[in-house]
Amino acid sequence: MTAGVLPQIDLMRCILCGRCVQACPTQAVEMLANGPTIVRPDACTYCTACEAICPVGAITCTFEIVWK
Amino acid sequence: MDDYLRNSLSTMPLFAGLSEATLGRLSRVAFRRTYAPGMLILLEGAPCESVFFIVTGAVRVYRLSPQGRQQILATLGPGQGFNTAPPFLPEGRTPASVEAIGETTVLAIRQEDFVALARTCADFSWAILQDFAAHLLHLTDLVEDLALRSVRGRLARFLLEQADGAYVTRPWTQDEIAAHLGTVRDVVGRALRSLADAGLLRMERGRIVLLDREGLEAEAGA
Repeated sequence: MTAGVLPQIDLMRCILCGRCVQACPTQAVEMLANGPTIVRPDACTYCTACEAICPVGAITCTFEIVWK
Repeated sequence: MDDYLRNSLSTMPLFAGLSEATLGRLSRVAFRRTYAPGMLILLEGAPCESVFFIVTGAVRVYRLSPQGRQQILATLGPGQGFNTAPPFLPEGRTPASVEAIGETTVLAIRQEDFVALARTCADFSWAILQDFAAHLLHLTDLVEDLALRSVRGRLARFLLEQADGAYVTRPWTQDEIAAHLGTVRDVVGRALRSLADAGLLRMERGRIVLLDREGLEAEAGA
């Protein structure tokens, strides 16, 4: 159920600074015309680096907490 | 009489013991409000105008440090009340900010109506006392956590509570976990990695999978 989970980018809040693009270790996110977009979802490792670097809290990586 | 209000009130465990007469009085003074996700419901320090009881959704109760660091005091869900203490104090002010987590519907009661009910309806006063007691015990646990446990221990306890459904359960960001534990995101990240290295949990895409209850309980008690 979590295979397709990706960081959520709130483009209304994004200030287009591009830090998430630079921070992504796998180049999964690129700056497109409407803002940062995860263009290679298979490359995303959900490392949360983009969320940590975002200065305006526009990117969220949530975790469910469950038992095995 | 508003049937929605009366039904909402009567299904709340907090008000399950109220008489028909008290429920009727309550439903005449309560009013419904719905808040969008992330909307600020109350601001710390503002004059108290109303008390609230959650019908659906959840809220985050928090204080901010002068440096802007957030300490979450509680995450509340359906049936739980907030801002119920200030009406009993002279010049009582809202003690903490409250924000809707998802779309949240509450029943609000103006403070003068709330106090009048508490003064005249013993069953209502008893219900509010029970709510106070639950808040007091929760805050006592929080003080113990902040004063006596390491971040790793607080995190282990938080993870156990969430996975066991002790409180409002939902997906969390690492920033939110940090605000809940009274620390910062980097420290939470390191603590998660150390618990994973110890074999107590596994980090997956969008999931923190707990693996070892005994080990986590030992960490939480440490």
